[in-house]
Order: sequence, then C-alpha cells, then structure tokens
Amino acid sequence: MNRGRLAKYSLWQFRDFVFERGIAIVLIGFLWGYVTFEPMRKMLGPQWTGDQRSPVWGLAIQFSSAVVSLAVLIALNGITSGDRKNGYYRFLFSKPISPVAYYAQMFFVYLVGVLLAMLILSSLLHIILPAFSVLYFLLYVALIYMAMGGIGFFLSVATRYDWVSLAAVWVGARILRAVYGAKNDWRSKAVELLPPVHRVDDVANSLIGNGTAHTSDIVWLLAYGLLFFVAGLVFLRKGSLAD
Amino acid sequence: MSRPRDADYSASAFVIEFKSVGKTYRSLLGNSVKAVEEFSLVVRAGEILGIAGPNGAGKSTLIAMMLGYLRPTTGSVEIDGSSPRHYVERNGVGYLSELVAIPPKWRAQTALVRSATLAGIPDAEIPQRVDYVVDLLGLGEHRDKKVKALSKGNLQRLGLAQALLRDEKILVLDEPTHGLDPLWTQRFRDIVDDLRRPDRTILIASHNLDELQRLADRVAIIDRGRLQRLVSTGYEHAAPAQTRFRIAVAAGHDLVRAAFPQAEEAGRDEFDVTVSSLQQLNSVLGDLIAKGVLIASVVPERSVLEQQFREAVGES
Repeated sequence: MNRGRLAKYSLWQFRDFVFERGIAIVLIGFLWGYVTFEPMRKMLGPQWTGDQRSPVWGLAIQFSSAVVSLAVLIALNGITSGDRKNGYYRFLFSKPISPVAYYAQMFFVYLVGVLLAMLILSSLLHIILPAFSVLYFLLYVALIYMAMGGIGFFLSVATRYDWVSLAAVWVGARILRAVYGAKNDWRSKAVELLPPVHRVDDVANSLIGNGTAHTSDIVWLLAYGLLFFVAGLVFLRKGSLAD
Repeated sequence: MSRPRDADYSASAFVIEFKSVGKTYRSLLGNSVKAVEEFSLVVRAGEILGIAGPNGAGKSTLIAMMLGYLRPTTGSVEIDGSSPRHYVERNGVGYLSELVAIPPKWRAQTALVRSATLAGIPDAEIPQRVDYVVDLLGLGEHRDKKVKALSKGNLQRLGLAQALLRDEKILVLDEPTHGLDPLWTQRFRDIVDDLRRPDRTILIASHNLDELQRLADRVAIIDRGRLQRLVSTGYEHAAPAQTRFRIAVAAGHDLVRAAFPQAEEAGRDEFDVTVSSLQQLNSVLGDLIAKGVLIASVVPERSVLEQQFREAVGES
C-alpha cells in the first residue's frame, strides 16, 4: 500500500490559491475600498474620525461584510467542479489519494488563504479607521467562510455552476425571507430551512463592531455551513468523479 | 521480456475483474444512452491487454469505471478484490488519459513534481524520479515550458511521464500514441515492452490495431458497449485469418511468378499472393530462397487483429 503525501501537497494548494484567487481578492477589495472610502475621507476632512462614532462606521461594516461574501465566492468558485469540468480529476485521482481528503484539505487551505487576504485588507482599513478591529473582523471572516463556504462547497460538488448557484441561493434566501418570513403560515416555516442569510447582518454588526454575537446566531450559521460541507464530502464519496 | 502464452494467464492471480458491467447515461429529460452493457472480463497480472473499438464504442467509459471515476449502473469492477476507488486510493495506478488534462499554466517540471508528491514519492527521491522520466520521454528541453506551450506530442509524452513516475502495478494507457511522431511511437512501444513484468498489468486502449497487435497479449474488441471478441495476438492463432500476403522481391521475380501462378503484381518488385495456410507459404518461400530468390519482405494484407476487428465490428 502506498499513500500520497497530501499534507505536503497543501503547499501547492496554497500556492494555487494565492496566484489564482488570493491576489484577485486583495486587488478587488483594495480598489473597491479605495473608491468607497477615499472620496469620503476627502469630503469629510477633519470630520473623519477613526472611532465607532465616525459617520462612515456603518458603511465600513457593510463594506467589509460585502467584501467577505465576495471573497468567499471567489475562493470557492469551482473548488471541485473546476477539476471535473477541465478533466484534471483524471490526473489527480489516479494517484493514491482520496478525493474526499484532497478537497477537504483544499477547503481549509483556502480558508487560510481567505483569512490572509482579509488580514491584508482589514489592516489597511484599520490604518484609516483605527476602531476597526482586525481580530474581530477575522473571526467574522472565518464564520462566514464556514457558513457560506460550506454551502458553496456542496454546490461545487453537486453542480457545474457553483458560484452562480451559491450567489442565487444566498440572494434568493434573503429575498424569500423578506417576502415570506413575517407571514404566519407554512411558507414562513419553510423559509426557516433556507440558509440563515438574514442573521449575517446582525452578526456582522455585533461581531465586527464589538467582538460579540448571539451564540444562537453563530451556532446556526456554523451548523448550517458544516452540514452542507459534510453533505458535500458524502456526495463526493458516493458519487462519480467524472461528469 | 517475451510474451506469456495463454497457459500463463490461468496460473497467475487475476488483478482486474469486470463482472457484467453496464453503464447507462441518463439525461434530466429522461433520455438514456447505454455506453457499456454486460461487459465481463478477467485481466491477469503480467498481461498486456489491448482494448480496441470504433469511436463511441465505450472504451473510455470502461476505463473510467475501472479507475473508479464512474460507478457502473449494473455489475461491478474489482481490482485485487477491492472496489476500484478503494484500490486506487490505497495503491495508485499509472494512468495516461485520452485527453491529457494538466492545468495549462503549470510548467512541465512542476506538473511532474506535483504528480510525484501526490504519488507518495519521498522528497529526497523526487528529483531523481523526475529526471528519470524526463530522460526516458525526451522532455529535457521542455521541462521549463508551460503546459500550454507544449505541442500535442510533447504533452502526450508529459502525460506518459507522470504515469511512469512511480513503479505502479497497474498501468492504464488510453490512446497512448495519439499525437506522437513515428519516432516516438516506436520509442513508446519499446518503453511499454520494457515495462512488461510478471506482477504488472497494462491496459492499452487504442484505435491503432497495428500497435495493439505488436504490444498486447490479448485484445478485447468492443463495439456499442459490448465485448464482441477477445483476440489473442500471438501468431500461433494466425493461420485461419491470414491467407493473403504481399511479398517484396529483390531478385528472382520470374521464379516467384512461377511458384505463385495466381500472384497479382502490386507494384514494382511486389506481388500479392494467396495461400491456404502459413505452412504452405513457408514451404513455397523456402523453395524459392533455396533457388536464389531474394525476399525483401513478407507482409500479411491484414493482421490477425485487423481481420478479427473487421469481422467483430461488422457483425455487431
């Protein structure tokens, strides 16, 4: 029996992340942040303050939360479906490695990559907005990566159009909750089963702002993502690697 | 190493067993296509098995099931008693796919180093293993090129190089000489001949019947997803199939015409002759040589395999 050296290969996976996704995430986040905050900084002049009472604090939370969602979309795009579409699975999985272990490792290597990209961006934001806590922000990044990324991973295993599906699920869940969430019928109960996107705003405000969040929100988001992540691994184990 | 005869297969433990394997592709609209049907075959250690069939016959589907990339709809495939996926995950196989798919931005050298890491080769041995396959496949001047910059032939050689990095017990080569020039096609044949080993099984899927005739011990001819024939390529089986030959003569043309009154002149110095058996052919040629005729070549009009292939595919 021979086993491939997956742990060693994680360095290659990380390199792939940096060159194929990480640099793009940092560049997009930087440019987006620059065009968002620089004009405001000029406009506000001495009124610009770096604390949480700053007029741009709310915007900073919204912006950073949106960048995290975008980063997760970019990171998870084609994480498994890309190898199927391009036929690379033939090259990879004739070697003595398990596809389940390979992609599970890749998921967590990409988490590290997203955290590093977000560390760079949040450090820049921290320079102009000192109240913005890099540590709290990274906790939020890890939580959203697990919640949104878990679903994205499952969709990448199950479909070819993973980032489109993930965006549709994420936005669709928000819309359906907004429309049916308040009604007191079966539809409001049904939308409870959708991804807990509505909790993201509350969590973003409290976690990025103060480093706290309702335990139930965190558990719900984490559990939802993990459930889909595990379902993706089971699907990978039971299904076919080839399309 | 010489080819084992049929008796040797029964003595060795089987490695790969297809048990009534079937694969049906179903679309979302309910349409279905049977790619493979009721395919049963045992491939033993030490054997080189060829898989031949027209386009769309089911060769690649069969290989995908054998490597565990696809699950059969019916039946099963076993490698050394395990499911294919289980076997591959534990042991690995050397696999050259029909379409060599390696990320185009990787350099050839990087692809081989990554491949070696995934194959479980220790760090200290990777440089020498990579150098070995680079030399074997003549990739020295291309090792720093990106995959997208490689020609079809060089990409094929890179695909073969990554399959040969480790000393695998199972090698699966899908259209291995596709895109190779005649020089490298011959070199490939020499390499495969050198890879023959009593504990190694090699599967070669190819359209090139001449290649399979030269390399394989047996050839499974499949068409429309079914095993049509299993042909042994040894010449001891050749007699019934081969009755027509092209003989090239350097001297003694008249004697050849006299010995084969029915011979048709196929061109300068060449005759097409029909014989009833190999024994008759050898007997007549022996007499001609004894009388001073210089025979330059004797080539069957169709190889055993080609004859069988035409019959099998034509009959199905």
